[in-house]
Amino acid sequence: MQPLIELQDLTHAYTDAENNQVLALQKLNLQIEQGEFLAVIGANGCGKSTLAKHLNALLLPTGGKCLVNGMDTQDESHLWDIRQTVGMVFQNPDNQIVAAVVEEDVAFGLENIGVPHAEIRPRVETALKAVDMSAYALHAPHLLSGGQKQRVAIAGVVALEPRCIVMDEPTAMLDPLGRKEIMATVKKLQREKQITFVYITHYMNEAMQADRVIVMDHGQIVMQGKPAEVFSRVAELQTLHLEAPLAATVAADLRHAGLSLPRDIITNEELAAALCR
Amino acid sequence: MLSDITLGQYYPGNSVIHHLDPRTKILGTLLFIIAIFMATNTAGYIFLCVFVMAVILASRLPVGMVFRSLKPLAFIIILTMALHFFMGEGEQVLFEWKFLRITQEGLAMGIKMSLRLVLLLLISSVLTFTTSPIVLTDGIESLLNPFKRIGVPAHELAMMMTIALRFIPTLIEETDRIIKAQTARGADFSSGNLLQKAKNMLPVLIPLFISAFRRADELAIAMEARCYRGGEGRTRMHELAYTKVDVGAFVLIVVVMAIMAALRWWPL
Ligand SMILES: Nc1ncnc2c1ncn2[C@@H]1O[C@H](COP(=O)(O)OP(=O)(O)OP(=O)(O)O)[C@@H](O)[C@H]1O
Ligand SMILES: [Mg+2]
Repeated sequence: MQPLIELQDLTHAYTDAENNQVLALQKLNLQIEQGEFLAVIGANGCGKSTLAKHLNALLLPTGGKCLVNGMDTQDESHLWDIRQTVGMVFQNPDNQIVAAVVEEDVAFGLENIGVPHAEIRPRVETALKAVDMSAYALHAPHLLSGGQKQRVAIAGVVALEPRCIVMDEPTAMLDPLGRKEIMATVKKLQREKQITFVYITHYMNEAMQADRVIVMDHGQIVMQGKPAEVFSRVAELQTLHLEAPLAATVAADLRHAGLSLPRDIITNEELAAALCR
Repeated sequence: MLSDITLGQYYPGNSVIHHLDPRTKILGTLLFIIAIFMATNTAGYIFLCVFVMAVILASRLPVGMVFRSLKPLAFIIILTMALHFFMGEGEQVLFEWKFLRITQEGLAMGIKMSLRLVLLLLISSVLTFTTSPIVLTDGIESLLNPFKRIGVPAHELAMMMTIALRFIPTLIEETDRIIKAQTARGADFSSGNLLQKAKNMLPVLIPLFISAFRRADELAIAMEARCYRGGEGRTRMHELAYTKVDVGAFVLIVVVMAIMAALRWWPL
């Protein structure tokens, strides 16, 4: 099966205010499979947001190719198809909600792509239900909690029935409760609607729940694999200024001290189980 | 403090007036304002007052609330009345003391002029009380649509209003937060003369503007990501549709205008 998104030597150079070239992505190769939950981590300024913006043609490559469902993002004629296939949720929930009523906001994308009047309401209702926000359909967004606002933003994307949702640090401005809500929503949508997720985060415990993790540094992918594989490489993560989960760090220290522990310990439960054996 | 500002004073309800198409209400209000300016004699004014009262009752809004919406403009209403009382020209002097002179004509004119203002304000607040801001925006867009050909950006204006309605509460919240943050740093917003006060507001306005621009930037990207490409080919979740009741409302307003014209040119 062809991957949903394929990046071939993707390169992006920004031109900054002083006309200098800033290389944000360097010959990046990546395939994102249908239905997977891919977490992207990396230090500040390593190019994660730049990568995200390429996936639905908000930015175009300055070198290489970005193929979404076989469509080249450079090809102007596919632009709206691509944006319907790949939706995007941003960090600040306040700055992506357009309308003063929740259901109006969820309808915004559908209105933009010209969905017939009669189909809009059912799709809005389905989307609100998918993120457990049906009860708030007529509320004013500015009165909702951060987690609720972010779920409204997700509903606005889900209503468009995308194959993939790219989330750029969706929980960075939320409290722990809001973060849990978003994680649960992502998993539910992946399970029930087979939506592919590209999830950028600075929270390792969120990335640990993904199917696959890629670690970026200076515009390139430097590590990738299952969370257990990536997060157990404690020393390497440290050189990239990333903090491995506590359990993985402790396991590495214990291993260093001579204890024989399995290599792929990343959660507290796994560590406890290994120690009790 | 700032959060007390209510915007779009929509008061949800189920009355006939609530259910009228927003275009009917906007056009009806405009026509009624013309009717107000057609009034010249007492009979005309009485008729207008009765009509406005009937509309308020039909809207089933709390009457007190509708009248309270006059409060912010009470000063202008009273000033209008006072100016006409004391400055009005006229023959029949009712009262004279030094330079003050009140004539019967001035008195009548003052009452009429302020009554016009009161009626105008009451009928427009019925419009905003019974129509949600979004529906009002939709109505304005739809009414401006025919003028697109002569270059009126109907969709863009409506989108701007929608976004303004969405962001005003957010920006008010943010202003509140910045004021508190600056107060905590020792800023003083209440003392000094007007110039001093304006100067003291700078540390609030600058961060507010910077953040507003950042918000605008992010919002534009988010809208683009959600396939926004202007008004062309856009559909709506709430479609506007005239019903029989709207036709009835139009007939009614035309009758009101006819009566006002009759009272003006063929007084009883
Ligand atoms: N508009 C721009 N003009 C010039 N340089 C830019 C621009 N946007 C980003 N950059 C630069 O490109 C690099 C990658 O930025 P990007 O925003 O993709 O990083 P990021 O991984 O998302 O960081 P963060 O974790 O802070 O969100 C950075 O060095 C940044 O300074
Ligand atoms: Mg970023």
